[in-house]
Amino acid sequence: MEAVNPYYPIPIKIKEIIPETHNISTFILEGMPIQFKAGQFAELTVPGVGEAPFTPSSSPYADDMEFTIMKVGRVTGGLFELKKGDLVGVRGPFGKAYPLKDFKGKEIFIVGGGVGFAPLRSLFLALVHNIKDYKKVYIRYGARTPDDLVYWKLIPKWQKINGVDIDLTVDIGDDFWEGKVGVVTVLLDDIPVDLDKAPAFVCGPPLMMKFVTQRLVEAGFQHRNIYLSMEKNMSCGIGKCNHCRVGKFYVCKDGPVLTWDDVKDIEEPFL
Amino acid sequence: MRLYLLPSNNIKNFVKKLAQDGSVYYPIFEDDKTHLIKFTEDKEFEPNFEKIRTAENIKHFFFPSRDVVAKFPKDSKVKAEKQYLFGIKSCDLRGIEVYDRIFIKTEPVDPMYKERREKTIIISADCPEPADCCFCNLVGVSPYGAGTCDINVTKVSAGLLCEVFTKFGEQVISKHKDLFEEAGKEAPKEREKTRKDALTELGKINSKPFKEDIAERIEKAGKETMQDAQKDCVECFACLYACPTCYCFLLSDYKKGKNIERVRTWDACYYAAYARVGGGANPRSDLVERFWNRFLCKFNYFNEYEGFFACSGCGRCYRGCSAKIDIREILWKL
Repeated sequence: MEAVNPYYPIPIKIKEIIPETHNISTFILEGMPIQFKAGQFAELTVPGVGEAPFTPSSSPYADDMEFTIMKVGRVTGGLFELKKGDLVGVRGPFGKAYPLKDFKGKEIFIVGGGVGFAPLRSLFLALVHNIKDYKKVYIRYGARTPDDLVYWKLIPKWQKINGVDIDLTVDIGDDFWEGKVGVVTVLLDDIPVDLDKAPAFVCGPPLMMKFVTQRLVEAGFQHRNIYLSMEKNMSCGIGKCNHCRVGKFYVCKDGPVLTWDDVKDIEEPFL
Repeated sequence: MRLYLLPSNNIKNFVKKLAQDGSVYYPIFEDDKTHLIKFTEDKEFEPNFEKIRTAENIKHFFFPSRDVVAKFPKDSKVKAEKQYLFGIKSCDLRGIEVYDRIFIKTEPVDPMYKERREKTIIISADCPEPADCCFCNLVGVSPYGAGTCDINVTKVSAGLLCEVFTKFGEQVISKHKDLFEEAGKEAPKEREKTRKDALTELGKINSKPFKEDIAERIEKAGKETMQDAQKDCVECFACLYACPTCYCFLLSDYKKGKNIERVRTWDACYYAAYARVGGGANPRSDLVERFWNRFLCKFNYFNEYEGFFACSGCGRCYRGCSAKIDIREILWKL
């Protein structure tokens, strides 16, 4: 059989763009160009600009693929110029999926920071799809200000799902904010799960990853149960170009999620 | 493996015949350097099979420095022409073995590399005159082709003694069998001596082997040791672009009319922005970290996955280095 070109992105139109914050939007595509599992990522092509790796923020069971993206660099800058109906390209899925079947009957502890909550949403929606399989799903999510919270319209709906417990914090509140104030670790003073068995999932900016992981380790989570989304420069996505290497791991193939057990001996693994 | 003799008088004729169904590249020695040039009838044919590997690395025959790997929105296939690489050295065979592992033997297969690789017949040549920069003997490479090639030739007094390694090599010889003779007894004896002498010479150039646990030693080297090793590095990246085993690349997109071309270019892990992400985080922002990473990549990580070093001992990194940093000196000290 002839080899499929792993560098070719599947063209697909943007169905809708939902602004989440002043610099974060959710891009909904017209369908599911690739079948992914929670934890895997894709390379998104902005025609003529380039491509960059993103984990979908939608459920693997959804009809349309979604990416929630912050405008930070060249490719995302180009993406934010696009409109509904414009063409993008998708390559993937890449990397390893979460071993969801290992989490059955357990409490799940999800910690997100800023736009880092986007890939965790895909995991959350995959868990919600079979919510009865899990003892309870906890979400602890922090953003800089109330205006920086993504999915603020959806969160009240998720809070009503039986078996879901969500707590939020912002670094700096405002006149309307009635929730907790402080960095995301303020939500980790009390962790109501069986620390010996529960898996924890962390995604956010490097400093947040560092301090949350430190807190989870101190709290007593098993190192192999702390799943960390590694933000690295995945150029090819297929373990060849070498850009995303962290120690002996290709984050694009062995990740994009690695456990604390995998990376704890690496100096500054989140940088 | 079967042996044949290609008499000196038939070498040109053999190359001429090969050139009828593909491009033939063969080594010449000019201004103290070896280069591979394309055979054409109008050019004087003065091959040199004895001097060391070419100054340029040969990876561009399979993995060009700039390569269109996809078109968007409609893709098109790469079609490669048949080519013969005649007279390349075994250090470059190590390079090809590294690329085969990465681009063909590790899923997903890279269709561009595979297409070019499958259209290439490799006729390597013994390396009887190792130079001061050579250290193939330290990284498990012999100074003669013993695999990865289709045919290996050794210069002997009567011509080229050919050893066949693959069915493709066998097909080449049988197609032009009128040009070949039985190997006889003398030529293999001569080859044995040539190889023994080459190994002796390499032993003199590199009398000290790398320590058995060199991979662990690199891992434990520490920033201070690597800082000392890289202090003269001017970040010209010549070592990486000249390296026949470095395979890092970058994908970039360019507009071409209404379409987009995805271009793959060689990259170098010494670039400051090499691993930087969109958000600005950079796991190897200091040169010493990038310098160290190169050693880890070649001798530690690759070795762990594939069971051999991603280093061919060709010495191009040393020859190309503006500061004359010798990789051997660094490894010997560890």
